[in-house]
Amino acid sequence: MAIDMEASNKGRRQFLGGIFAASVVSQVTWADAGSPAFLSAAAKPDGRFVLCGIGEDLQICFERPLPARGHAAAAHPMRPEAVAFARRPGTFAIVIDCVTGQQKAVLAAPEQRHFYGHGAFSSDGRLLFTTENDYEAGRGRIGVWDAHDGYNRIDEWDSGGVGPHDIKQLPGTEILVVANGGIETHPNTGRTKLNIATMAPNLSYVADGRVIETATLPDEMHKNSIRHLAIGHDKKVAFGMQWQGNGPVASLVGVHRMGRPAQLMTASLTAIRDMRGYVGSIALSSDGQIITVTSPRGGLLQQYDVGSAELSQSLAIQDVCGVAAFGNDIIVSSGTGEMRRTVSGVAPLQRHMDIQWDNHLIAITGR
Amino acid sequence: MKRLSLIMAIMAAPALCLAETPNILIPGIVDGHILPRFQALSDSTRALSETAQTDCDPTSEGLRAAYGTAFDAWVSASHLRFGPSETDDRAFALAFWPDSRGATPKALSILLSQQDPIVSSVEDYAQVSIAARGFYALEFLLYDDALKVAGEPSYHCQLVQTISADIAATSQNILDDWQTTYATTTQNPSPDGLYRTNEEVLQEMFKSLSAGLQFTSESRLGRPLGTFDRPRPARAEVRRSGRSSEHVKLSLQSLQDLAAFLANDNDDLSVKLASGFNLTLSQLSDLDDPTFASVSEPQTRIKVEIIQQSIEAIRTLVRDELGPTLGVAAGFNALDGD
Repeated sequence: MAIDMEASNKGRRQFLGGIFAASVVSQVTWADAGSPAFLSAAAKPDGRFVLCGIGEDLQICFERPLPARGHAAAAHPMRPEAVAFARRPGTFAIVIDCVTGQQKAVLAAPEQRHFYGHGAFSSDGRLLFTTENDYEAGRGRIGVWDAHDGYNRIDEWDSGGVGPHDIKQLPGTEILVVANGGIETHPNTGRTKLNIATMAPNLSYVADGRVIETATLPDEMHKNSIRHLAIGHDKKVAFGMQWQGNGPVASLVGVHRMGRPAQLMTASLTAIRDMRGYVGSIALSSDGQIITVTSPRGGLLQQYDVGSAELSQSLAIQDVCGVAAFGNDIIVSSGTGEMRRTVSGVAPLQRHMDIQWDNHLIAITGR
Repeated sequence: MKRLSLIMAIMAAPALCLAETPNILIPGIVDGHILPRFQALSDSTRALSETAQTDCDPTSEGLRAAYGTAFDAWVSASHLRFGPSETDDRAFALAFWPDSRGATPKALSILLSQQDPIVSSVEDYAQVSIAARGFYALEFLLYDDALKVAGEPSYHCQLVQTISADIAATSQNILDDWQTTYATTTQNPSPDGLYRTNEEVLQEMFKSLSAGLQFTSESRLGRPLGTFDRPRPARAEVRRSGRSSEHVKLSLQSLQDLAAFLANDNDDLSVKLASGFNLTLSQLSDLDDPTFASVSEPQTRIKVEIIQQSIEAIRTLVRDELGPTLGVAAGFNALDGD
């Protein structure tokens, strides 16, 4: 009897605690997680994988464990919640409470699907969209998950192409833009590319499950895989590509706006070759004028002026990859543990940490 | 000694900026590895085309033998995917595989049922779907139970002859480009050239080695292996002609030859590479399973998995020990490729 009473009291305490916690949870913000400005996956010197929150001062605000190597992440626009994606062809994504470090949910890819490592929230934070591979059909899909209901999967849409990679929402709209890289892969054959001869990448705009516009590249660029995206306030879409063809390519960076043809950024053949046909990450300055792209293979960062559509400067940084805009500054990270903030006209802030930063730096907007 | 080599490096540095000094490795690889393979491909595909002109019966021993010899030559050169092989998608026109959507049998069935007159001209045939060209298309016409007897016999015959002639023409084009320009291009890097430095040429050859290993491991073995719960023996490369295991052997032998060139005078690495390849080849020979049908049985499946692991071990060795000697960026992100 005493034991029952004890159990009942304990139950009540837990219940009350639950109410208390719920009311607190509804008010927690990114400030409670130390106001990070960016998220990045990383590998620690002891071989563990983590997701880190990084402040404006480039200091690590928090570090949360991941079960395997991460790729990109998605930051909830209001709640201090991050979704960390396993790298391609991963089948899980983890929702992390960035205040407590606890795992809030695990997204499991459905049967015959795997993730590509990228995802995006709707602007109201209610839905999460993930790029996925329907690998038996060889078709790109967008998984739709309810962030207000324990991240249940509620729908699935066609991505408008093959091999979707990055996905972003156009600001002030419910329109998603997807980089369909065009490359078919199957988990049984690892990362082997199955369709280079016939690949056809595109940018697809998707609204409520329908592809409303598709932008493609000129025929001679059909082996230029569109992979990564950066979006301007004016809905300008900057995209970075990875060249799968032979010999030099004319461009690895472009800009697109709905209703118009894509415009490719140009540079000297030598400057483009220095990127080794590979853009790993892309960022657009907040004024929409400067595109920054990185190539870990070339150990090179390049900036393009959108107005003139030409290369404006290059900077060598070993194993550079992650890049994000912060106001008119650019933050870059590298696999060697370096992180830099370039401030126009002011000496750059630079830190070196004993950590390997993974491919992407994700800006947190809801701070 | 250390100081001396530093001084020499400083002295050599300005010279390197202006023009590349000849590299002894590159002509060795071009003359000893690349040109002989494309020569053999050109010779054997011409023989195949000539045989097909006189004997187009799919069950003919002579035709099948000529096909086998030519296909062997392709597999031995199939890792050399840069320059002339990529111009106009020639390598894909010779070898459209894996064909995950079954485009090859589909395209051939349509040609055969509609008797499309495009097959009457080898030049025109180069315009058909890439899936209906090359060695893998010809395998369906010679060995697939349905397609070897499909369509009107004289049309089938012409299709075999045209595909064979198209293969020969493509192979000849690759050889011509290597002989007339590309052998020189790879041996004369210059700031304005296709290759700016010897290092870039060697990295291209290194990429052929690593991509060749990846293809044999992930596609030639990975596709039939599927998963433990769902093995896919029907996805084995060229199982209809019983050549699946032979392709793994031929590709490994070629890759071993290239790896030995690239490791050059690094004796320790050369020994490790040789023992890795020799181990894998002996495991493959012990398996004695021409089409990897054994992937479906747990007791024998493990042997195929072990061969795949042995190739993965060579890949790791190539990436971690050979790559850095050739200046290939091996960073955390540089290797990620996503």
